[in-house]
Amino acid sequence: MISTFLFKRVEQSLKIILAFIVLLTILLPQTVLAAENNRIEGVIMKDPGSDLWRNIRQRDFAITGTTQMKAPDANILINVAGEFWRQYRTMDLIPLAGSAIFLALVGVFLFRILRGKIMLAAGRSGKKVLRFTLNQRFAHWSTAILFITLTLTGLVLMFGRNLLIPVFGAEGFGTLAMVAKVMHDYLGPVFAVSLVCLFVLFVNGNQISLKRDLEWLLKGGGLFGKHVSADCYNAGEKGWFWIATLVGGTIVVSGLVLDFPIFGQTRATMEFYLVIHGIAAVVMIVASFGHIYMGTAAIEATFEVMQTGYCDSNWAKEHHDRWYQKKLDEGKEVSAGAMDSETPGTVSSASEQSS
Amino acid sequence: MARMKFYCDAERCIECNACVTACKNEHEIPWGVNRRRVVTIKDGMVGERSISVACMHCSDAPCAAVCPVDCFYTRDDGVVLHDKDICIGCGYCFYACPFGAPQFPEAAAFSSRGKMDKCTFCAGGPEIDHSSDEYKKYGRNRLAEGKLPLCAEMCSTKALLAGDANVLSDIYRKRVINRGASAFSWGVAFDKARLDV
Amino acid sequence: MSKLIRKSSQVKIVPGDTGKMAGQAISRRMFLKSSGLVAGGAALATGVAPVMMKKAEAAMAPGVQPERIKTICTHCAVGCGIIAEVQNGVWTGQEPAFDHPFSRGAHCAKGAAIREHGHGERRLKYPTKLVDGKWKRVSWEQAINEIGDKMLEIRKTSGPDSVYWLGSAKFSNEQAYLFRKMAGMWGTNNVDHQARICHSTTVAGVANTWGYGAMTNSMNDIHNAKAIMLIGSNPAEAHPVALLHIFKAKEENNAPMIVIDPRFTRTAAHANQYLKIRPGTDVPIIWGMLWHIIENSWEDKEYIRQRVYGFDDVKKEVAKWTPAEVERVSGVPEVQVYAAAKAMAHNRPSTIIWCMGGTQHTIGNNNTRAYCAFQLALGNIGVAGGGANIFRGHDNVQGATDLGVLSNTLPGYYGLKVGSWKHWARVWELDYEWIKGQFDSGSYEQSKGKDVHVMNTKGIPVSRWIDGVLEDKANIAQKDNIRAMVFWGHAPNSQTRGAEQKKAMEKLDLLVIVDPYPTASAVMHDRTDGVYLLPACTQMETYGSVTASNRSLQWRSKVIEPLFESLPDQTIMFKLAKKLGISDPLFKNIKVNGEEPLVEDVLREINRGMWTIGYTGQSPERLKKHQENWGTFDFTSLKAEGGPADGDSYGLPWPSWGTPEMNHPGTPLLYDTSKSVAEGGLTFRARFGVERNGVNLLAEGSYSKDSEIKDGYPEFSDKMLKKLGWWDDLTAAEKSAAEGRNWKTDLSGGIQRVAIKHGCSPFGNAKARVNVWTFPDPIPIHREPLYTSRRDLVEKYPTYEDRKSFWRLPTRYKSIQAVDYSKDYPIILTSGRLVEYEGGGEETRSNAWLAELQQDMFVEMHPRDANNAGVKDGDDVWVEGAEKSRVKVKVMVTRRVGAGVAFMPFHWAGVFQGKDLRHKYPEGSAPYIVGEAANTAMTYGYDSVTQMQESKCSLCRITKA
Repeated sequence: MISTFLFKRVEQSLKIILAFIVLLTILLPQTVLAAENNRIEGVIMKDPGSDLWRNIRQRDFAITGTTQMKAPDANILINVAGEFWRQYRTMDLIPLAGSAIFLALVGVFLFRILRGKIMLAAGRSGKKVLRFTLNQRFAHWSTAILFITLTLTGLVLMFGRNLLIPVFGAEGFGTLAMVAKVMHDYLGPVFAVSLVCLFVLFVNGNQISLKRDLEWLLKGGGLFGKHVSADCYNAGEKGWFWIATLVGGTIVVSGLVLDFPIFGQTRATMEFYLVIHGIAAVVMIVASFGHIYMGTAAIEATFEVMQTGYCDSNWAKEHHDRWYQKKLDEGKEVSAGAMDSETPGTVSSASEQSS
Repeated sequence: MARMKFYCDAERCIECNACVTACKNEHEIPWGVNRRRVVTIKDGMVGERSISVACMHCSDAPCAAVCPVDCFYTRDDGVVLHDKDICIGCGYCFYACPFGAPQFPEAAAFSSRGKMDKCTFCAGGPEIDHSSDEYKKYGRNRLAEGKLPLCAEMCSTKALLAGDANVLSDIYRKRVINRGASAFSWGVAFDKARLDV
Repeated sequence: MSKLIRKSSQVKIVPGDTGKMAGQAISRRMFLKSSGLVAGGAALATGVAPVMMKKAEAAMAPGVQPERIKTICTHCAVGCGIIAEVQNGVWTGQEPAFDHPFSRGAHCAKGAAIREHGHGERRLKYPTKLVDGKWKRVSWEQAINEIGDKMLEIRKTSGPDSVYWLGSAKFSNEQAYLFRKMAGMWGTNNVDHQARICHSTTVAGVANTWGYGAMTNSMNDIHNAKAIMLIGSNPAEAHPVALLHIFKAKEENNAPMIVIDPRFTRTAAHANQYLKIRPGTDVPIIWGMLWHIIENSWEDKEYIRQRVYGFDDVKKEVAKWTPAEVERVSGVPEVQVYAAAKAMAHNRPSTIIWCMGGTQHTIGNNNTRAYCAFQLALGNIGVAGGGANIFRGHDNVQGATDLGVLSNTLPGYYGLKVGSWKHWARVWELDYEWIKGQFDSGSYEQSKGKDVHVMNTKGIPVSRWIDGVLEDKANIAQKDNIRAMVFWGHAPNSQTRGAEQKKAMEKLDLLVIVDPYPTASAVMHDRTDGVYLLPACTQMETYGSVTASNRSLQWRSKVIEPLFESLPDQTIMFKLAKKLGISDPLFKNIKVNGEEPLVEDVLREINRGMWTIGYTGQSPERLKKHQENWGTFDFTSLKAEGGPADGDSYGLPWPSWGTPEMNHPGTPLLYDTSKSVAEGGLTFRARFGVERNGVNLLAEGSYSKDSEIKDGYPEFSDKMLKKLGWWDDLTAAEKSAAEGRNWKTDLSGGIQRVAIKHGCSPFGNAKARVNVWTFPDPIPIHREPLYTSRRDLVEKYPTYEDRKSFWRLPTRYKSIQAVDYSKDYPIILTSGRLVEYEGGGEETRSNAWLAELQQDMFVEMHPRDANNAGVKDGDDVWVEGAEKSRVKVKVMVTRRVGAGVAFMPFHWAGVFQGKDLRHKYPEGSAPYIVGEAANTAMTYGYDSVTQMQESKCSLCRITKA
């Protein structure tokens, strides 16, 4: 795996610096302290431990040995990647993720203020077009619920120490975090399954068409001006689909490695996947804000599409004109009344009944 | 107040694992959890040295820094402890610890590790001293009985020392002066022998 | 700064024991529940006996102050002190015994885990017999009755010699003594124990050099050493606490530490000089060092003149061992040999430490005598900081040896002569003729043309019991083959020739195993009946005295009551003796409470009889006093300064001359002439006569402090006292007891008292001899092992001729060495110990805290051999011994061993030639860890004097499994 390779390279180059930092941060305070204490007695003396560990570091950097313990990594004397993990988590991940999520929320808010709610230019027609089958909707909503749950539980674990302990107290938060961790660990694999279903059910129509998608993007998706012509999914929606697939896939894979520490994963492996998992999750969360806003409150008559499976024909005309045209050609426009008779079934049977 | 420290004299440690079993004995540690372990470097070669490692009760403990639930605390005497009622068993502390000290009773699917367990410097935990809860969760509280960690007290060659950093420094200094060598004299002895000829 | 999240108010650290709260006993259950073993389903879920349960619950009562009991570790002969904390009969805690004179609170992995034995789920829980291949629980009465009946039947048809009494170094002194006495009452000398395969060559070699076959100094005395040489000894694994003392000398005296070993051991890692020899070349390396010493005139000439006989003969032999020849044979270059010799010679007093690496050879007695000669040349014997510090193995192997659990002697090394038996008959107050009548009346050996009674014939040694069963009846010097074996605390996997041992077990009529654990004896054979397992309790569940490696007797207190249905060994001996109809003579002067003989009475009887080695002063009262006040003894000299035991040496290291009333302080250093005998000084023993071929064997101008005889003198007797005019120093009662007796047989102790009063050693004052003219090789010489890969050396250093009847059995040497096995079996195979396990390992592999640390049986292989065999670290391999038995083990590729040498630890059992025997253990008693026994692949080969087994150099081939 290239990423592993890269990580190894990074790890190697960081090794010496890191070890130095580790030892310095751990031992310097002790040394100072010991020296402090000794000064009182009139003798300057070092903590013997610091000498020992400095020697271990300086002599051939022999940090791996043998031991009678069977646990993974038990034979490693100093875990050099540990300090990297600590720095990453406390100095990078938590502040940066916090900022990113905060900025994304601000962005959505600003967008709402600037653009307001986007109304259907022609109003509702009352005629419906089947846009999502029951299976698609089922997959979408289970994924969505799982995603939100995992996001919330994940965020609890990431920010809870800073944000929630003051609210719930250490023990209260401990319980909450335990619940969050268990949910996160058990729902993660379920999310993996639903994400695969989602991909299978939605990949059709989400294939990237360079010319049209580029055009759509160049015109800003028609947000500020004339609508841009689009197929079943516009480039924005396709972008989300592919983010969900690729970034989500990354989250799933890294998550599974972390969730099943039964294959003797070493600390370095776990740390690597934790880094990946964290970054990917933050990217996905930030991206999801756009999707959630666009899919719920941003545009008139959008939310109901994933609710019912049907979209208003005017909505279809405005946002997905080429797809609507195709549906029209197939004669798949239905009146509002016919919709109620839809019963759960296969995609084809549902459309046959309704036509 | 005294600062409690461990120090393992690599010149004396013979990897007899008494510290490991003493710890198991004192705290009834289950199979698979090792609050203390002995690592031998350059095993079987000139310069072979063994070191007994457990939680070093760091001043700026990385485990505490990364804990998502902030379950660690440092006592006035420098002993780093944690609260198992709060611990969620995420494993972050194990990834951060330079010494591999945090242990987990299991490594099962769905990241089930159980509550983290680590060396307490034989100082129990946040429960009431000598309570049955404290014993079950953290093991015996020897410090509160005026005793030091059993691993060090039972060390076969007195390689592993535990206690006030000042006292340790004193012992260490005497030993170094006696030996006239560094704390970790890889193979030095053999070179000396050759020069002797 | 840190925040405080303590749930309790901060409790101040107060010195002193505030006691431990309840919950520990229940946490024992918790441990079992939460144990990964249970989770993993690895067969831990066996029932806990109701007895245990009750106790565990009892201990839960809150606020119980623990009782602190002092006792001694049962693992090795260092003899570390233990403080056990007991609540309501449950062993709940273990504290370091900081004031113990040997250990100062220190323990190795085994000692630090010893409390586990007090809980032992994997124990043998009740008497069990094998019926149609299935284990069946029986009552004690039924078991004893059936065993007794079978034994008596065998006695009737085949004679008493067909029952073999295999005792144990795990016995207390009192149990060891009773066991030997019981075998005598039964009427056989077929009684032996582990010392045979441990230090028998040391005992024979050393005793024949200067009188006593024991460690001359003590581990504490190593503090005084200026140089330390360890050969064939790895205390870092076998005697870890000994290194506490060695490191003290190394650091504080700047004493060079020299390790001679085929393996770069954990001990070697801390040495200043390391000499990697080829296995089995101890004599060449020692003579090689002595060559440099003589070459440079570093030997102590005055000492040799005064106190050593036969040194010129040694010089002649040493002259052959030029540096080039030493390197050719042992593989060690001159520069290293020279440096080691120089270090030992220039830093006197220097001490030598040896263990199994030197003793377990066909020439083991040569090796031990070569070490002695080396130390004598440097004048190191009888001085503080010097000596031959022979580390014994099991906790009481010294005591069990002293008390004669051996096929060649009665207690106290009295031998088996008519006089020896008569002495003990007087001590036992039994009719000598009755004892004689118990034995087989035939004669199978001749001495000086006269028939020797079976009673005076050495029995079959434990190393050869297999041949006692399998050998053709016509070739054995006794009436019939061995038909019943009693394994009373013995692990068969510590013995070589596993496959033949299995065959022998299957041929027996009766197999009785008395042990706290089933041991491999219960499972390695394919018998379907005739096997009885009797649960003995551990030494923590009874009490008595135990002799440490340095000859100190320590008192063990009972920590807990026997677990399950187990009984103390002395009780089982009483039951069995009663059944066999010998309990009356056996316990004539010993009080029996119910069925348990009074241990103190047994020790008192020992005190009345063991004059030879001074086991006479160590009364139970004195030993208990030492235990109670062990903190008053000095860490280096072991002498109490002040306190109730003022002036005594800790544990009254034997010889503690005379009666207990004489208050002899014990002898911390043997042959130390700088002290008077009354204070523990000594001379070399006059054991071998007064002159030989016109040369004086007595000391010349050397005598112990305050001696009234300023020269050598023979051993004391009534005649000598009269000659010296000291006879009237005896009281009237003493005179009547001493008339016609000598220092060994005077039951009043008067002769010893008077000799010591005049500053003399009761056993005389002679020279040590480095020429043991009674041995096959009077001067130690090198002989190649039977299975050697150095065929080029066989002609120059051949082994012995085969022997027809040696310890009742034909014994092979040359006929094996004549065949070249090195083509098929190119790798030298050696064996040794690990720190986590002990001996056969059954006890320690059943201790979860220890078993977790060593889970796989392995063989150490050099990278070169591993590459040649195409195996990688962690692979499974077959190690096939030269006699075609093979074991399947994991490979550890390491540079600890040299190229061409492989090493296996010998503690495993429960897998036999690839077959897992775990299911054959009685339910719930299989140890946590099973593995192949290294000795299954080990081959034939026995010492030329003592029948010590050769388990340190054989040949093997290693192939991928």
